[in-house]
Amino acid sequence: MNPQGRGLALFLRTFTAIVLVFLMAPIVVVFPLSFSSGELLTLPTPGYSLRWYDDFFSSSKWLLATRNSFVVGIATAILATTLGTLAALGIFLGRFRGKAFIVALMSTPMVVPVVVTAIAMYFAFSFVGLNNTLTGLVVAHTVLSVPYVLITVLATLQTFDRNLLKAAATLGAPPHVAFRRVLLPLIAPGVATGALFAFATSFDELVVAIFVAGPQQFTLPRQMYAGLREFLSPTIASAAVLLIVCSLALLAANEYFRARGKARTAAADPAEPN
Amino acid sequence: MHDPIVTFEQVTKSYDGRTRVVEALDLRLARGEFLTMLGPSGSGKTTTLMMLAGFEDPTSGTITLEGKKLNHVPAHRRGIGMVFQNYALFPHMTVAENLVFPLQMHGVPKAEIEPKVKRALEMVRLPHLRDRKPTQLSGGQQQRVAVARALVYGPKLVLMDEPLGALDKQLREELQLEIKHLHEELGVTIVYVTHDQSEALTMSDRIAVFHHGRVQQLATPAELYERPANAFVASFIGENNRFNGTLAARDGTACRVRLSGGEEVAAAIEADLAVGAPVVLSVRPERVAIGAHVSADNCFAAELLEVIYLGDHCKLRLRVAGSEAFIAKVPAGDPATIAPRGTPLTVAWPAQACRAIPPLD
Amino acid sequence: MAISRNNLLAAGLIAPLFVVVVASFIVPLLVTLYTAIGNPEVRQTLPLTTGALRDWNGEGLPPEAAFAAVIAELAQAQEGQAIGQLSRRLNFEQTGLRTLLLKTARAKETLAAPYRESLVALDTRWGDTELWQLLKRNTGTLTPLFLLRSLDLTLTPAGSVAQAPKEDAVFLPLFARTFVISFWVTVLCVVIGYPVAYTLSTLSQRAANIGMALVLVPFWTSILVRTTAWFILLQREGPVNALLRGLSIVDEPVTMIFTRFAVYVAMVHVLLPFVVLPLYSVMKGLDPVYLRAAASLGAPPWQRFLRVYLPMTMPGVAAGGLMVFMLSVGFYITPALVGGPNDQMVSYFIAFFTNQTINWGMAAALACLLLLMTGILVGVARLVVPGFRLGSVSP
Repeated sequence: MNPQGRGLALFLRTFTAIVLVFLMAPIVVVFPLSFSSGELLTLPTPGYSLRWYDDFFSSSKWLLATRNSFVVGIATAILATTLGTLAALGIFLGRFRGKAFIVALMSTPMVVPVVVTAIAMYFAFSFVGLNNTLTGLVVAHTVLSVPYVLITVLATLQTFDRNLLKAAATLGAPPHVAFRRVLLPLIAPGVATGALFAFATSFDELVVAIFVAGPQQFTLPRQMYAGLREFLSPTIASAAVLLIVCSLALLAANEYFRARGKARTAAADPAEPN
Repeated sequence: MHDPIVTFEQVTKSYDGRTRVVEALDLRLARGEFLTMLGPSGSGKTTTLMMLAGFEDPTSGTITLEGKKLNHVPAHRRGIGMVFQNYALFPHMTVAENLVFPLQMHGVPKAEIEPKVKRALEMVRLPHLRDRKPTQLSGGQQQRVAVARALVYGPKLVLMDEPLGALDKQLREELQLEIKHLHEELGVTIVYVTHDQSEALTMSDRIAVFHHGRVQQLATPAELYERPANAFVASFIGENNRFNGTLAARDGTACRVRLSGGEEVAAAIEADLAVGAPVVLSVRPERVAIGAHVSADNCFAAELLEVIYLGDHCKLRLRVAGSEAFIAKVPAGDPATIAPRGTPLTVAWPAQACRAIPPLD
Repeated sequence: MAISRNNLLAAGLIAPLFVVVVASFIVPLLVTLYTAIGNPEVRQTLPLTTGALRDWNGEGLPPEAAFAAVIAELAQAQEGQAIGQLSRRLNFEQTGLRTLLLKTARAKETLAAPYRESLVALDTRWGDTELWQLLKRNTGTLTPLFLLRSLDLTLTPAGSVAQAPKEDAVFLPLFARTFVISFWVTVLCVVIGYPVAYTLSTLSQRAANIGMALVLVPFWTSILVRTTAWFILLQREGPVNALLRGLSIVDEPVTMIFTRFAVYVAMVHVLLPFVVLPLYSVMKGLDPVYLRAAASLGAPPWQRFLRVYLPMTMPGVAAGGLMVFMLSVGFYITPALVGGPNDQMVSYFIAFFTNQTINWGMAAALACLLLLMTGILVGVARLVVPGFRLGSVSP
């Protein structure tokens, strides 16, 4: 490489490093702030303590929000994964026109600005009494997260070799057995990824919660948002750290399932080791 | 043929109600035979196989297996084994688990499963790979496992859909023989689909040549090669030189054909054609003799256009009776192969080596 | 036969999700559309007045029956909550009507026949033809007013379209601001994201994995958490100011929170991964053989980039850029937390009208326009990027 090219490469790498620092810095900085012993969110911290975590775990508001977040997240994940996986299978198995239209229709919640979705649900829920209920929040989060499940499972099904179902049939397996012993194990990593997406979407969702949830249904993001608008206490930083840790766990789980899914579908293109 | 294992009677398949992928198919398979369906893609051979396997329903007509009507029997109750082009081994199961699967499905008692798996793996010479996952096997090994899996529960009939299509030439030829030997050992009936004519000639007891949804000819490999029923079969199986002409005279199976340039050729004929009908003449390149000395039934002046060296033999491209694509096959040492371009030669062939057949409509 | 059984099964599998999406998403959107153009208040609260105005030709004053009806019905409405909704609705048509209606409702006892004269005596506005025209116009089932107002237009009492008064004409500048912010966020994301994705795609697999992890971690961290981080960082007494002062770059703390600058920083931070991720996969999938071919054909590095690499990675730029723009246009939380009053976008006002002023019609009308714009953007995206899907980047 000529000196000019090397200079450019060095410039690009430095630039990239700066951008990566920019991307990570705010997330990293929250950690020391949350362990601060002081009242103010400033660096350097006067000392380290667990007082803000103590504050978090002894506050009934934050505990309720944590509980709500997990209840709504898990319910959403179960509902969205079930509905999305079934629909993806229907689209995969059916022989009809307009599949693209159905997928597009089910994916519209991804395209529509969240505020529009949020007020639409708020208006509609006011007629059926779903505002200020956990059920309403679960329904709303399910609609928001189901496109991710649908698209992930459909993508997994696209790598699924239909001949495997035919092979199972010629080996004597009735359709429901072929489904259970061949199709399901092979798409399981995709379904798991979809469930993670659904949980993560619900767990991080705020805008719909602002409209649809009352104080009794506050989730962690909603409680954080309320806290930010009232008084900026370091408890918010410790809540943020807990949310970041959850996100990291979800990301790690997602990478794990992706690697497993890859190992499975690799069978579709036979390597020739000899 | 009495007691056929499979019959097709007037089977027609159409997806859109207009174009017929398979048209009025009549076919009878003898017990224990190796029948190959050969044809270009879109000729209807794979659709026919899929109807037999139970993945497509015939639009009309009847298919029977062992005398029982098959039309609406679902695939998993037909008891027909199948080997797929891309192997279709279950990637989440080991080799042994893949073989156990059909035995479980057919309710084989637990105690008998292990010996059967063992025997099947020995049959394809892979007992050492029983605990590998399919991804850890080579293409040839995967296909051997697929064959073992299709045979392990003892089906009477096994279908093979271009099973060797994804393998390279050497491996393909090796496995062709292996499958042929398995067929001879086990006495199972095999229906084999391929578009590779040499594969069909190597393996089959009989070959059904498909084109435009119809069986053009159903015959043994030798008969197919030596006595093609029509121009399509002649061109699809092996190389040949073709001339268009009209039937000038006929006496039983001997005839004379007048080419468009006015030359007359003596040929053999079997088709039901009257004098004056348009015919195609087919001459195999290896049946053409080169030299001035020959006193055969047909003798023509030729001009050497090109010599193509192929190791054990050479092909000569010649101008003969107005055609510039006439090919003659000669041994590598033949003097004609070192002659310069443009050398005048004489080509000759006996009337028996030249068949007048109906042109393709 | 087998085909139809197959499709029956497929329909059964798709149906539950279809029902949920239609019932809790499509129907609410239709409700919103209706809220933007529906006009139920006058008809529901003043049915007799509505009837009495039906035959009035709009000239002079309506018949005595209308005056009698309006007095009776307003008084009746005061007993429920209906008067609040009605007066809020009509006050939106014309400021001041709220007080007039409440005053009239309260004055029922003091009013006696002939009602026309006594009403005009109570407030001269009741003798105004334009007021009655306005009332009559709002006896219809639908009204274009909210949509018109979203576009800084209004209706004259006679019913023709006119420019909205200057103090109400805030929405076109709002849409313009939304587009300007979204545009610059998109430009920044692409300009920053392209070289980053390129550099990552040229690194060894190990280094690239680490780099991508540093993009994925923020991507998976919730928008609120990241915005909160910036909210904390950019405070007057926050870490960034502490750093700047520690390095003696500034003497006095710089005001960064609640400014347009903060909005740009936080939005670019949130949206940058949406450009880097698709670009990285496009660049990683690009066969280097094309660049080698261009080099062997005599193209210098700069030409290779401009004429081969850039055009071949353009689909990634378009997909990522459109994605960022589309998401930016609907942004709410980030500007609401770190921006000032003049940095808020359309979404903020939708929330504002829903929760603060309880003017659902305006909220719905703005939402419909935002939805329409998003629809147009998706259409453009489909034209520009073949096979564009929003799912191409998922969390």
